[in-house]
Amino acid sequence: MKRKFLLFSIVSLVTGGFVISAEKVDFARDIRPILSDKCIYCHGPDEAHREANLRLDLKEDAFADKDGVTAFRKGDLANSEAWYRIITDDEDELMPPPKSNKSLTAEEKDLIKRWIESGAEWTEHWSFVPPSQSEEKQSIDQFVKDAAAKKGLEPSPKADKTTLIRRATFDLTGLPPTQKEVQDFLADESPDAYEKVVDRLLKSEHFGERMAVYWLDAARYGDTSVMHADGPRDMWPWRDWVVNAYNTNQPFDQFSIEQIAGDLLPDATPEQRIASGFNRNHPSSDEGGAIPEELRVSYVVDRVKTTSNVWLGLSMECSQCHDHKYDPISQKEYFEFYAYFNNTSDPGMQTRKGNQTPVIEVPDPARDLRLKEMEAKLEAAKAKVAAHREKARGGLEKWFAAASAKEKGKPGKKQPEGLKHWFPISADEKDIVRDSVTGKTGTLEKGGKFLHSDRSGGKALNLNGSTAFLFDGWPQYEADQPFTFTGWIKGNNANGAVISRMNSGNGYRGYDIWMQGNRVSTHIIHAWSGDALKVVAKEPLKKNQWQHVALTYDGSRKQEGVKIFVDGKLVEHTVEANTLTKTVKPADKIPFRIGSRTKGANVKCEVDDLRIYDRVLAEDEIAVTKTDPVEGLLKQEWTSLSDSQQNLVFNYYLAKEDKTYQKLSTEESKQAKSVADLQQKPTTSMVMGDNPPDKMRKTFILDRGQYDAPKEEEEIMAGVPAVLPSLPEDAAPNRLSLANWLFADEHPLTARVTINQLWQIFFGKGIVSTPADFGSQGAFPTHPELLDWLAVEFRESGWDVKKMVRQMVMSETYQQSSKVRVNDLEDDPENKFLARAPRFRLQAEFIRDNALALSGTLNRKMGGPGVKPYQPPGLWAEVSLGGNPKFVQDKGDKLYRRSLYTYWKRSAPPPSMQIFDAPTREICVLKRPRTNTPLQALAAMNDVQVMEAARHFAERMIREGGDSPESRASYAFELATARPPSGNEMAAMLNVYQYGKEVFAAEDAKAAKELLQWAGESSRDESIAPDEHAALTMVASLILNLDETLTRE
Amino acid sequence: MNHTFLDRRDFLGRSCSLLGGAALASLNGQSANAASPGGIPDLPHFAPKAKRVIYLFMAGGPSHIDMFDYKPAMRKLHGTELPDSIRNGQRITGMTSGQSSFPCVAPMFEFERVGERGTWMNTEVIPHTAKIADKITLIRSMNTEAINHDPAITYINTGTQQFGHPSMGSWLSYGLGSLSDNLPAYVVMISVGSKPGQALYSRLWDSGFLPSKHQGVQFRSGKDPVLYLNNPPGVDPNMRRAMLDGLASMNQERFDTIGDPEIQTRISQYEMAFRMQSSVPDLMDVEKEPDHIFDLYGPESRNKGSFAANCILARRMAEQGVRFVQLFHRGWDQHGNLPKDLRKNCESVDQPAAALVKDLEERGMLEDTVVIFGGEFGRTIYSQGKLTEDNHGRDHHGRCFSTWVAGGGFKEGFDYGETDDYAYNIVKDPVHINDLNATVLHNLGINHERFSVKYQGLDSRLTGVEGAHVVKDILA
Repeated sequence: MKRKFLLFSIVSLVTGGFVISAEKVDFARDIRPILSDKCIYCHGPDEAHREANLRLDLKEDAFADKDGVTAFRKGDLANSEAWYRIITDDEDELMPPPKSNKSLTAEEKDLIKRWIESGAEWTEHWSFVPPSQSEEKQSIDQFVKDAAAKKGLEPSPKADKTTLIRRATFDLTGLPPTQKEVQDFLADESPDAYEKVVDRLLKSEHFGERMAVYWLDAARYGDTSVMHADGPRDMWPWRDWVVNAYNTNQPFDQFSIEQIAGDLLPDATPEQRIASGFNRNHPSSDEGGAIPEELRVSYVVDRVKTTSNVWLGLSMECSQCHDHKYDPISQKEYFEFYAYFNNTSDPGMQTRKGNQTPVIEVPDPARDLRLKEMEAKLEAAKAKVAAHREKARGGLEKWFAAASAKEKGKPGKKQPEGLKHWFPISADEKDIVRDSVTGKTGTLEKGGKFLHSDRSGGKALNLNGSTAFLFDGWPQYEADQPFTFTGWIKGNNANGAVISRMNSGNGYRGYDIWMQGNRVSTHIIHAWSGDALKVVAKEPLKKNQWQHVALTYDGSRKQEGVKIFVDGKLVEHTVEANTLTKTVKPADKIPFRIGSRTKGANVKCEVDDLRIYDRVLAEDEIAVTKTDPVEGLLKQEWTSLSDSQQNLVFNYYLAKEDKTYQKLSTEESKQAKSVADLQQKPTTSMVMGDNPPDKMRKTFILDRGQYDAPKEEEEIMAGVPAVLPSLPEDAAPNRLSLANWLFADEHPLTARVTINQLWQIFFGKGIVSTPADFGSQGAFPTHPELLDWLAVEFRESGWDVKKMVRQMVMSETYQQSSKVRVNDLEDDPENKFLARAPRFRLQAEFIRDNALALSGTLNRKMGGPGVKPYQPPGLWAEVSLGGNPKFVQDKGDKLYRRSLYTYWKRSAPPPSMQIFDAPTREICVLKRPRTNTPLQALAAMNDVQVMEAARHFAERMIREGGDSPESRASYAFELATARPPSGNEMAAMLNVYQYGKEVFAAEDAKAAKELLQWAGESSRDESIAPDEHAALTMVASLILNLDETLTRE
Repeated sequence: MNHTFLDRRDFLGRSCSLLGGAALASLNGQSANAASPGGIPDLPHFAPKAKRVIYLFMAGGPSHIDMFDYKPAMRKLHGTELPDSIRNGQRITGMTSGQSSFPCVAPMFEFERVGERGTWMNTEVIPHTAKIADKITLIRSMNTEAINHDPAITYINTGTQQFGHPSMGSWLSYGLGSLSDNLPAYVVMISVGSKPGQALYSRLWDSGFLPSKHQGVQFRSGKDPVLYLNNPPGVDPNMRRAMLDGLASMNQERFDTIGDPEIQTRISQYEMAFRMQSSVPDLMDVEKEPDHIFDLYGPESRNKGSFAANCILARRMAEQGVRFVQLFHRGWDQHGNLPKDLRKNCESVDQPAAALVKDLEERGMLEDTVVIFGGEFGRTIYSQGKLTEDNHGRDHHGRCFSTWVAGGGFKEGFDYGETDDYAYNIVKDPVHINDLNATVLHNLGINHERFSVKYQGLDSRLTGVEGAHVVKDILA
């Protein structure tokens, strides 16, 4: 063998003896991975499974003399017990033991042999030693070229300018360059032409979108809750925060600290709190039978896994049930790390309906706009009602005359004066509770239900314990004003407010009629309980029987001023507070309520015919309140009625007799409900929040990782693994300390792990090919010195992401051609040493974005809630709980947003993304696979989204690409590839075009019309002949399916 | 995510296609010259009994008590309180943990002893299954730790309750590859019982940390049996062929210029897609089946998308080389209204499931096809909600449940495992869900302990880390 040490050549030669390499054995690169993979499972950190009391992850142990036996003896093969065990024929002594299903290859044995012979040098695991820079090399290219040269590899020449601008534009923005951008670059012959392109792209706001696509996989971001019902949630404000953070080049330490602990920062801004939502993106459940603690623990476990994978490149999750098998992380250390996340206040049982607390309210322009539209509708409905009321007055006196003629002579008592509010509850008005004195209707509070029940032939209101009706613009009453409340109540064991106007957020200021263990009572409160009046009937109402109730108050602020009547009889009461002196007026915005108070205290009982008078009614008057107040009035002369009595009659007339009015008023109430619903449902984003210090949740080791097996004998305090730098002495035991610790100067992992992730984005593969595992089972870096050099650069730059990205894409290594040369596949099949630029398929999102951009239909709007572009029918319904929710596709320009904004339902992700290797986003993913399948071909050819893009791409050819088929095809090809087509390529395109013309012209362009009609919801330029349009659409589709179009070269 | 091992495999695949010229890659993107159907080189570990699996998955938790695990003693227990000695402090779900009473419910169906061994089965709602009693091994001692749907269904399908792991079918696609040049190695179809019921999740057929080409491909009954299979209206196969010819020649030119073997793979994948456009509709065209087949699979078999129709398709797929077919049938979560809803579900699945076994046998395929019938857990002996004369519900129960297996190396006419009188605890021969998966792998020639992929530093297996074992007693 002339040079190199290629696994492949070894594999092929191993059968005929094996290859002897002259290259020096490197412990970190060559030996530790073998020990880790083949030995450490039984001779490693996990105490419970350690064999022969021997650890081969520790230097001391590996060289120690144990009863005369030493595993490895430097330079002395014969006396190295390990070597004997490796080569012995005795199955009982052989290592690894046959039953472990592990064995050493000939190559591995050779490495171990040569390592021992050459002195068995031992170094600590590379990633736990802080990175340092050597003086010799000062650029990416020096490191890469040097490593390649050692393998005998020549760097490739610089890529064509067209390839280069297309590569950089996709890598930095996820979009293709425009024709003008390509032309400008080709025309710019200055030496810094490329640099200018890079700087322009780094300033583009699409840069943030591009980087976010990566980060969203890491953060397991989605628009649904994953488990059980997989219901909707709003985390898009967090996603928009990420895009913005990349665009404003927020230093990576800040970017991270805010996502891990933004909520704990002193005077945290709303943005910082939104950022902390990173660790709310995990799956959550609302499954009815679930055990909340089991779920809560699973959320904490997910946070530990994701945080340690993303920032530390450690598989800490392996130590949940037992000490780590390979890395020096004990189970106790796992739970110390876990403790940082164990004090969070979000519950185990979460919701399928939107966001679970803690949340933060966020501005949402789309919602505001919708609210405005709905408010305008409400105003219009109100105006119609008002106009109709004016008109209806005209017929009132005539009706009164006729109605009162019928009533005259019938017996009946005069109605008491002073009726201010009356809620008759009428079967005539569906879904409405109306104050028949003022004419106002209440709006049903969200979550409630309008339910009727029966009382003596009429309808009553059934308050089911979660229902309330709200009345705005209610007049203010003061404690010195007398009142009488009357009504019918039927309850079993009613507790809560029948009526109220009270602000529980301000010492319960206000008043209510209250049920307490089925007893009638009232609160009149300035501030509970130091300045308040509360009187309660001694006896409860009869269970489940309608009883007439009255309560009078004389304005004296004293308990003696209250009287309670049941079925017309005065009853005894007890006094629970009698200290009222000050005002009881709640804030103007506090609504009057039937069924609850602000907030909560929903009552469960039935009520009917509720009245409020502005004076104290005498006992004989109370008896009269059982009769219909309007009927009483009908016996009187119209002119003898007071204004409010006339109003009462008028509202009675409208509600009973005026069908048009009823329709208009129902509409008003419906609109009011929609507005109220939306107002009460602000847009939020989930954030992290900890329990207060006095309610900190204690952490214990969970035996075997089981939620229900805490080892309560020892409380675990938050901390970090001992193999990593220690925390500052005064560090508080919270996430903020953890986040800050990640960025300590001496931290060996964070900078390396992060720079490796960035490298992976721009070079297709990390320097460490296992981005989430920098432990001993992870891959050894292809360029260890480069990784360290970049890590130090990154840290010393102040964690400047754009600067590091710029450095990478400005390197000669990056700018090389990706052409595969004659010997390349043999010399470096995996392109580990980057003697050519990597060439790889675009990721799912950019394939779709590219088609939209080329077609000219891409909607570049940024941010906001996820959108639902085209997808085949039925995909949600066939998996979702009870068949719901069903997918409702968006319309109009939402169909053409960047794929970053596509709504991500995690139990049924967008198929065109999944087919192209996008993960489900249920767990943290730091590296997507890249496959090449026929399903991808089908999607790229037949997805309506792509074919619609092709249709517009064809229009664009006709509009902008000259008059001939050649010029049009050439134009489109160049837009897609940034280069002109060759003769053969042109011929192939024209063949498709000509064949298409023939087929599509036949039968009055029937097939053409079918295709054009089918391909998307947007309109077509009808001036283009269908056969021409269809044939060019096929050419466009051909171009969109080219390997070159789908690939970043 | 850690894919070191897989990267090497991807590379092997590519290199082969370069060396082997334009060898047509299989649907799974694996290099597939005639000799190699994909899969990994060291599989199978030993001579397999079975080549393929058809998994009839009853999602929601079918009641073992009302179908398979009957004891005459139950009749006497009806209406009595579940003794503490039986529940033994075991956890139950949040849906019934608040109940003040746990009245036992005997099945409201007729049971008979069937088959040569005289095993108990519900002959009222699963009479056809009763008739194939001599063909199947009935395991009455299946068990799982999970007690709720989402974790339980994830567990049984992927071997762990954690997310992100490959499903059983994906493991097989990865390990054994495809038997067909025209069809995926792993196909999933979904049908619905009395009501949609509990949710499914794409993770149940996802490839997890294996390359996404091993994902289960969902086939549907509609006009597009595979997503995006059909050409747009107005584009006929000739037009598509013309477009593909242009594409192939342009891609070939690019390959000649740039030399990336991935381009050749892409060319062959487009050709494969083109072939699928005719092979899949052919496969799905059950109309070609003779009448006696529809008679065998029962009255619902002519309704597209029904479980019965999917069973016919499963057999056709098995014939054409699909390695793993999984039929999900939804709606088995009978917390209430069990007697009625269970009957409805059984009406839809009983005859076709039995027919599938017979049909495979008649074609000589049962011996190398594993058929599995079961769900993610069973149901409680006690009633959830009110027990009336003719109605009740049952809550989830993971301590024991019943699953039957047939063909592909399993015993014929055999019972395994026993539960107590309350069908609540296992008293003999427990079979953990991972034990069954290990046994199925065994029949496919795979040592489940040696079939692993390194993921986040660990050797991850379908059968988990807790030491699953092959259930030798049920092997033929």
